[in-house]
Amino acid sequence: MAIYEHLQHFDGKPVVDWELGTPLTDPSETAYRISISWEEHEASSQWTDKFAQFLAEPGVEEVTALIVGPWEGAMESDGSSEAATEAIVAARERLPNLKAVFVGEILAEEAEISWIQQSDLSALFNAYPLLETFYVRGGNGLHLGSPAHDHLKTLVVQSGGLDVEVVREVVAALLPALEHLELWLGTENYGATTTVDDVLPILNDGLFPSLKYLGLCDSEIADAIAVAIATAPILDQLEVLDLSLGTLSDEGALALIAAPSIGKLRSLDIHHHYVSPEVVDQLLALPVSVDATSPESAVDEDDRYVAVSE
Amino acid sequence: MCYYVIVGNPDSNRIDFFQQTLQRLGHPPARIAAWADLLEGHARLPEIVQAGDCVRIESPGRDFDVERLLLVAGAAEAPPGERLSALEAQSLVFERGRIWFPHQWYLGLRRALRQIEGQLAECPPHRLTNGLAEIVVMFDKAQTHARLCAAGVPVPESLPDVRSYGDLTEKLRKAGWGRVFVKLSHGSSASGVVALRTDGRRAQATTTVEMARSNGELRLYNSRRLKVYEDASEIAELIDALCRHGVHVERWLPKAALNGASFDLRVVTIGGRACHTVVRQSRSPMTNLHLLNMRGDVEAVRDRMGTAAWAQAMESCERAAACFPSSLHAGVDLCITPSFRSWAVLEVNAFGDLLPRVLHDGMDTYEAEIRAFASAGD
Repeated sequence: MAIYEHLQHFDGKPVVDWELGTPLTDPSETAYRISISWEEHEASSQWTDKFAQFLAEPGVEEVTALIVGPWEGAMESDGSSEAATEAIVAARERLPNLKAVFVGEILAEEAEISWIQQSDLSALFNAYPLLETFYVRGGNGLHLGSPAHDHLKTLVVQSGGLDVEVVREVVAALLPALEHLELWLGTENYGATTTVDDVLPILNDGLFPSLKYLGLCDSEIADAIAVAIATAPILDQLEVLDLSLGTLSDEGALALIAAPSIGKLRSLDIHHHYVSPEVVDQLLALPVSVDATSPESAVDEDDRYVAVSE
Repeated sequence: MCYYVIVGNPDSNRIDFFQQTLQRLGHPPARIAAWADLLEGHARLPEIVQAGDCVRIESPGRDFDVERLLLVAGAAEAPPGERLSALEAQSLVFERGRIWFPHQWYLGLRRALRQIEGQLAECPPHRLTNGLAEIVVMFDKAQTHARLCAAGVPVPESLPDVRSYGDLTEKLRKAGWGRVFVKLSHGSSASGVVALRTDGRRAQATTTVEMARSNGELRLYNSRRLKVYEDASEIAELIDALCRHGVHVERWLPKAALNGASFDLRVVTIGGRACHTVVRQSRSPMTNLHLLNMRGDVEAVRDRMGTAAWAQAMESCERAAACFPSSLHAGVDLCITPSFRSWAVLEVNAFGDLLPRVLHDGMDTYEAEIRAFASAGD
């Protein structure tokens, strides 16, 4: 499995693929996606040129949400998000209201998640102090720095195999407003190096006082994470725990069922999992809304796969 | 009313369905000339075809005896090296999914079709639904690609004459391409297809081909489960093995998606017109139907493209079919890019019209073909 369709909404706003010469009709209520299509790539168009044209449109200063789709070369594994990132950083004066950014909304048919070349995105946080929502897809070459940012509410890193350095950057970040943290840890085969010890600070140390949604998704260590969360203080503050897309099995699920604070959750998402039907029934009996759809089956542990990897 | 003679495999569902359609339309049942009998000389078309008959050539596929006989027929024509002698071919034992000698098989098919042509020349006046020489071209992906290119049909760019993995990576580097499909030149459907991606340092091959080693010999099998190879030496081994049978390499165009899966189209042209269309959806780079993929909604694709672009895309399929003017039908595979603004013809299949229960103007493919052929003969 992988990601095959574009977002229809981002930051609560309908997504529009911006094309050259299209006026911005409702800039504050639209999420603009700027990408270099296959046809544009063939015609040697550059993402930064298209973005420069976008910035020249009347009303661009009202834009609040921006999606970076494939840049030139993204489909040919040739070139990273660096130039696009620099262009967005340089555009801070033209985009004073920008609150939501997604870097690398690229589909599997364009470039599988493990082939997306990211870059150092840390300058975006400094350039946009009012940013509230930040999504990135692809963990290769990715750096977030360790942002100190007063307004960021949502941080989502989608990856097929996340390097532990990125997790450490998040752990070291100062994000007092962060409500939604989602890290797709992925599989060792595609570069995942995070162990449960690396995420313990998030679970135990009250790093993010406003955190309500914690997603540690698409992970091969979902069981170990679930066991750690079951007795961690983070459960007292979360509304949503998202362990979806990974290899959660009975071991992790039973630990969650036995967790003293599990009832404080509003919802638990484990879709795409390896939990047995009997234990799923026990989960569904919890006083929590549980999404346990997409059960997978495996002959043995080595046969368990995360949902999004290559 | 015309009597049909079908050259085909008598036990195949293709013949079943065609006979059912004939019966439904009030036609007499077709007489069958079995591929195996023709290849073994047990039957000759001059003894079967009568004046005024319609002769239809069906796929020789999915029958191991026929596959073996085509390999035997190809033994005389195959160049030495990667080939089996007639005796070796004769003694092959069935193995599920095994990819034998696709080039030799193709040479055998070509020889068999020439024999059919010779026998038909001895028959009383009749009409033929398939151009025999055109079938041969359609079973050669490079020749088909060249023919489409020359006719201005949009196709993915190709890398000609790839001989080995080393050759391929060198050509990719020169072309600046990051991903391609490597297909057996003479494979049908998803047989021997590799979706290859590389950034010059690492590579990834997603494929229907499974490699197995037995007594030091590398064997290739078609698998229904996709395999992903990441190890450079394994990928090299795989591509080298395919290259020994001849490959056609094309740029991997990104495919559009609907309802959570990417897709391409199978468009059956009949009498030169784009008719039956199936949306083949997949969550992998391979969309061929018998890999257990699902069918999507044609109307949704048409709506998304807009009627003008849809009409142009169908026209591209018809131009592809026009490259094979003696063929009553062709199965054209069409890729639409994620912007829904451009498209390219990926394949033209000589026997791509088996689409049971798919209707166009209220008719399935076989009924539409029978009616189109009848009116063409008027």
